[in-house]
Formats: sequence, C-alpha cells, structure tokens
Amino acid sequence: MSLDVFICGVGGQGLVLLTRVIGDACARSGIKIITGEMYGLSQRSGAVSVHMRIGDDAFSPLIPIGKADIMIALEAIESLRYIEYLKKDAVILLNKRIMHPPIETSEIIAKKFNKDYFSLDQVLKNLEKWTPNIALVDALKLAKESGNVRTENTVFLGCLSALEAFPVEEENVKQSITDSVPKKTVEMNLKAFELGRKNAYDSLCKKVACREKN
Amino acid sequence: MVLKDVLAKEARPAFMLGNEAIVRGALEADVKLVAFYPGAPTSEVLDTFSAALDSFDYQMEISSNEKVALEVVAGGAFSGIRSLTAMKSVGTNVASDILFVLGYTGVRGGLVIVMADDPHAHSSQSEEDGRFFGPNAYIPMLEPSSVQEAKDMTKKAFEISERHRVPVIIRTVTRVNHQSGIVQLEKFERKEFKKVKWQALSEKFTTLGEVARQKKLKMLKRSIALSQEFETSEFNSITQSDSEIGIITSSVSYLHVLEALKILGLQNKISILKLGTTYPLPRKLIQSFIKKLRKLIVVEELSPYLEKEVYVLAKDTNPDLKIFGKLSGAFSEAWEYNPDIVAKGIALSIESKRHEYNDFIINAKKLRVNLPDRFPTFCAGCPHRATFVALNQALKIQVSKGQNHYFANDIGCYSMWIYPPISRSDSSLCMGAGVGVANGLSHVIEERVVAIIGDSTFFHAGIPAVVNAVHNGNKFTLFVLDNSVTAMTGQQYNPSTEYIAGGKKGKKVLIEDICKGIGVEFVEVVDSYDVKNNVEIFRKALAFDGLSVVVSRRECALYGDRVKRRQGIPIVPYYVDKTMCKRPYVCLRSFYCPAYELDKDKQPRISLELCDGCSVCSKLCPLNSIKRAGVKK
Repeated sequence: MSLDVFICGVGGQGLVLLTRVIGDACARSGIKIITGEMYGLSQRSGAVSVHMRIGDDAFSPLIPIGKADIMIALEAIESLRYIEYLKKDAVILLNKRIMHPPIETSEIIAKKFNKDYFSLDQVLKNLEKWTPNIALVDALKLAKESGNVRTENTVFLGCLSALEAFPVEEENVKQSITDSVPKKTVEMNLKAFELGRKNAYDSLCKKVACREKN
Repeated sequence: MVLKDVLAKEARPAFMLGNEAIVRGALEADVKLVAFYPGAPTSEVLDTFSAALDSFDYQMEISSNEKVALEVVAGGAFSGIRSLTAMKSVGTNVASDILFVLGYTGVRGGLVIVMADDPHAHSSQSEEDGRFFGPNAYIPMLEPSSVQEAKDMTKKAFEISERHRVPVIIRTVTRVNHQSGIVQLEKFERKEFKKVKWQALSEKFTTLGEVARQKKLKMLKRSIALSQEFETSEFNSITQSDSEIGIITSSVSYLHVLEALKILGLQNKISILKLGTTYPLPRKLIQSFIKKLRKLIVVEELSPYLEKEVYVLAKDTNPDLKIFGKLSGAFSEAWEYNPDIVAKGIALSIESKRHEYNDFIINAKKLRVNLPDRFPTFCAGCPHRATFVALNQALKIQVSKGQNHYFANDIGCYSMWIYPPISRSDSSLCMGAGVGVANGLSHVIEERVVAIIGDSTFFHAGIPAVVNAVHNGNKFTLFVLDNSVTAMTGQQYNPSTEYIAGGKKGKKVLIEDICKGIGVEFVEVVDSYDVKNNVEIFRKALAFDGLSVVVSRRECALYGDRVKRRQGIPIVPYYVDKTMCKRPYVCLRSFYCPAYELDKDKQPRISLELCDGCSVCSKLCPLNSIKRAGVKK
C-alpha cells in the first residue's frame, strides 16, 4: 500500500520544512517515504510543489497522473495547477488564502478593471468538479492564533495527521516538529499542529475517515 | 535542512534530501577538502557542508566559479587528501578545461566530482547531457537513482578514485538531488585533519605534448581496468524474469520504470538491467543480459547515450534484437521523464495495454481556464526591482533623446526580467555572456548596449569580458547588481560578502575597485533603493561616450531578513492609507511587488505578512499615501 500526497503552495510558505517533518516522522516510525521536490526558480512567491509518497509500494519520486490520494494546497489557486495528479475522489486540504501573483494584478489594471481576480469561489467550484472531498482551512487565522503567522504549514500537518489514511502516529509527528523547527518556535508550532488537528475533527472528519481522537 | 541527521555518528535510518545524502556519504568517507560554486540542483551540497563545518575538521571553500572549485579540490587530491566538489551541468562546462586535464594527470587522494544535470531545464538555460564528459575525458562515472544510492556511491567513489588514481564523477539529475527518502546511515569515524608534506610525496602532475601522448595510453588502459571492475559492481543489478523482453535503464529513470511496470500490471514480468556505472560501461554484463532477449527497451533521459552503446554491443551478441528507445520513436530526447511517460513508452514498444492518462490532463486544463500564471518573480523587498524601476525611467528618458537600446541580461535573479509582466531582455544566455556579447554588439549595432550582471556572476565569468571592453575601447553600459550574496541558489556567500564558508569572516572584494583598477573611466556606486536619485545617474551612464559601469548595491532581501532576525532588528511593513490613495496605481503599474494586491475598493493593499519594509514603493507614490505600519511579529 502507499499513500500519495501532493503538496503545493507558494515559495516562502514552508513546504520544504513540512516535507522534512513528515519524512523525519516516517523515518522514526520505520515507514518508507520518497519525495520529489520542485522549488521553482524564485526563492519567494513562485510556485512550489512536492510529490510525497508514503509506503512500500511507491517507487518513483513522482506521483503518476491521477493517483494522489491527498492534496495539501497551502495556497488556494495553486491547487488547480496540479489537479491532474489527484484521484477523482481525492481529499483536498485547501488553504483559504489566496496570494495573487503580481501579473494578475497588473493585468486587471491594464484591462481597466474589466477583469476580476480569480476567486476562492471559482477555485472551489472547479475543484468540486474533480472531487467532493474538500476541506477548507483558514490556516492563516489558525497560525496567528498559535502565536506565529509562519506556522500555516504546521496547521496543515495537524489536519493531515487526523486522517485515517495517514500512517504516522501523532506522537512521532510531534517529536519531529520539536526536532525540526527553530527552538524558539517549537511551542507555537505544536499549538498550530493541535489547532489544525482540531479543525480537521470539527469539519473534515465528517466527510472523510479519520483516526480515533486521542 | 535537518542537520542532525547529517551529523549523526550512529547507524540508523534518516530522511534526507539527495544532496544531503551525498554530503553524508562524503563525511562517512572522511572527506577533508571541499569547494563549490553554488548551482541548482546541487546548491544544498554546499549549504550542508557549510552548516556542518563547525562539527567536522574539513577544509572548505566557496569558490568564485566551478573551474576554480575543481582546481581547489584537485590541489587536495594531488596531495593525497580526499576531496569533493559539486556543480550543476552547465557548471561542468566552465570546469571542463581542468576536468579533461585531470583525466590525464590522474590524482593521488580520492577526488569526487558531483555533476548534476537538469533535464527539463527546471533551473538551467539548457537541458545538457553531461554524461558525455565521462567517455570524453576518460573519467569514470556513477549514476545514483535514489538517495540511498547517492550516499553509497559517493562513499564508494573515493575508493574507486584512489584505486585507479582518477577522479570519479557522480552524475545526478534534478530528480535525484531534489529527491528525499530514507537513508541508512552508517557509523563513521573521522581522522584528524593534518597538512601533508609535499616533498615527501615526490609526484608530478604534468601533461603536455609527449607527456600527454604517453599519459593517453595509460588512460586507455585505466579505462579497460575500470570496465572490468564495473562488470561486478554492486551498483549494477539485474531483476530477472522469464520474459524475452528486457529493459536497460539508469538514474531516476530506473525508479520511473518500476512505477511504470506497476501501472501497466507488468511487475516482475520484464527483466531489468539497472546500470549504476555508466562509464566505462560493463559491456559483458550488458551482453549477457541482452543475449537471450527478443525485445529490449532502453529508458534514459536526454540523449540516447546507453541506447547507442547497446546497438553496438547487440551487433555481435544478438543481431536480431529489436531495440526500442529514442531512436525507435518510443521515447523523446526532450524533457524529463515521469512514470506516465515511461509507461507510455514501454506500452508503445511492446504493444501492451496502452497507458491512457490524457483525459486527466484534458479535464484538468479545462479547470484551469483563466487561472493566473505564477511566474518566478522578484521577492518583496528585492533590490533588483528598485534598480529596474530606476533603469526603466532612465531608459525612457534616453529613448526620448533618440538613444535606443539592446538589453543583454545574464544568469541570476535578475534573469527573471525576461518573464512577464516585465518581459524585457534581448538576450539571456549563460554566466557572464551578457558582458561578452555586449562587446561584440557594441561593434556592430547602432543602439546603446546595456548589460546587466550580478555580483556573483561578475566574479564568476564577467571580469574577463570587462577587461576586454576596457582594452579594446568598447562602449556600452554595464550595471552590476550587487546584492552581496549568490541569491538565486539560496544566498550563498561570494567574494562580495564579508563572510566565507561556515560563516567565518572573509574579505569583501569591491567590484568598483576592480573596475577602476582595470581602467574603467565611468564608475558609480549607488544604493539600489534610492530610486529617485538613481534615475539621473543611470541616465548619465547610458549617455557616457565609453564604457560605463554602475554598481547598484543593496543586500538581497532574503539574506537581509536573515541577518535582521539574527540581530533582533524588526521588519517594519508598510500600508496604504486608504484616505490618501487616489488610485493612480503607480505602485502597481511599475513595481510588480508580490506583497501588493487590490482590495475590494480597487485600492492597492499591502499584505503585512509579505511586505519586507523596503520602503521603495512609498517613495514612488506621488500622493505619499504609503506609510510605515507597526512592527511585525
């Protein structure tokens, strides 16, 4: 068996750290994992994606088209950029946050406002044509609640860890967070993790199979 | 990066990036000298060695280019010291002069050269196939497919290098360098670093004329010996099946093959020869593998390197063998592979059940209609954006005076000027080539040539072309965008930084001093953020009848943020005062900052999370409506 998770977002949102934490937790748990990471050209604000494959039955670092079980979209627009990788009933953990690329804004002004931003509603409407299992997460709000605005990635890790399909025990994930994030931010990250997990039990778990709540 | 795994002394599994696994392998092999010029996808090799420098006793240098880096480690290897460098595909072109020579001279201590190709040109100007360096320079080459192999091969390469007294290339591709997975760490002990006495070694590393001719003969013998050794290498493996169909593959394509066979329901139904030693090739092993096959599929990215070798070997061993690959049309020489492309190619070759995934792509495209692109762009606070705003204004003034321009871009973050919405550049080539072509263009075109280069690229390959311009009296304007670090690859230190590898104190080399020293008559240094004053200085440089150089200096925003965080200096973002903004959109029209968007009143809004507090937009606003906000947490 294998669990294929497609992670996407915008440079600067901590996709790489998120990948490290999950990978470290897998290593700790004796679970095989392989990832293919695409950082893009720009350090910040460019499209970033990670193919993550957990389990014995995955060989390539890249997920085949139409095979991903879960998508974590740290930025809403980016979810559509990679939608072909998802199974038709895949679970999408979708950040409410949209970071409009500068080109979109400049086009709106060039067209004298005869054009609107690509909206969250449009994203959702299009995603629903692919899968019904979408969980909207206000990760920025939860990150702020945790005391560190940069913990959106950890909020999503909390969501992911609630899912039954995710094979790593909560304690191992928490240990990896503690070992991987800057020391000063450990507490805030653990809080963000709990907030994400709670968020999943409050909404997502009504649609998708989740682990038993501790 | 999780440094603790790279540093761990004990044997245990760890999750690592391919580049970290390479470092770990080298540390386990007790490497004592490393030198690099950063380049995606190998930069994390440099970063990891730099971060680990405090914990181990190796010598390290961030060199000014790949050729220098290879020469640095060659010095180590001549002295019997285990040494390693890593470079991206096109970096090997720069280093190739010394690379070929090292094939002749050989080495004493183990010398490992990690060479990372970038199929798909993810972060390069070309999809170069560096595998030809192996046979061309008679230098053995190993190709890992996984992170575990990346570590194991790096470690083993030092032994091979010392046994045959020759450098060894570890040839990777982006999908190996930027692949992560579980690596089994081994226990290791490191010996204390000690300087060696050169006189005690009494060995000569020379090659020229008759010496070279004699060394060539030795080199040929060496390759035969290596080929024989590789016949039984642990890095080549056969997965046998009863089928008359076989696959030969290497590198990450091997992993795609395994995945593709699973997709096609052909797992364990086709024999696979996975090659880890791709120069010299284990010919007998290949011949024994293809002997009884009816059909053979060769799966490799880029050129048909293995495929052509197989044709030659099949001619004697199995002339009726049907070979499928790029030459048969089943696979393309363009772009990187993935499980779907490989499954499609295999299905096409053996006429099995087709692998259809087009519907997914077609349906996905329908959902992406009107989805905005996200081109690489300058970060919030990037000094290059400020330089370009001033430069665009200066160019406009010059155009109004009848001076038109050719725009020669170069390799670095400023390359992103070729992308929308700016899309300005007449050429963007390879490291330093902007200044090189500016020389030639200045001879033959009527327009004023404007060349752009970054600090790191200036030191890497720009200086000879500037010297050339001074000596020959070539007239153009060169902007050196000095952001103090090699920003695009992750803000590594370079001669423009006051630090060196491991964060130790080094000497900053001033670009203006070099330019003045070689006789450039117009040299100005400006603060990139000072847009208003810079316009006139830039304009004067463009109007100067001769070679003019402007150094636009301000540290990379990401690097600056890191320094600020370390020193506890707050980053104070800006906001748009809605009562004062009359929406002239100057901040959006010319600035393209990712921290900006429009709010529901169609007024510009600055994201406090993204704003870097550079203040440049506030200086551009004609209404002074952009103000400092509170301190960011």
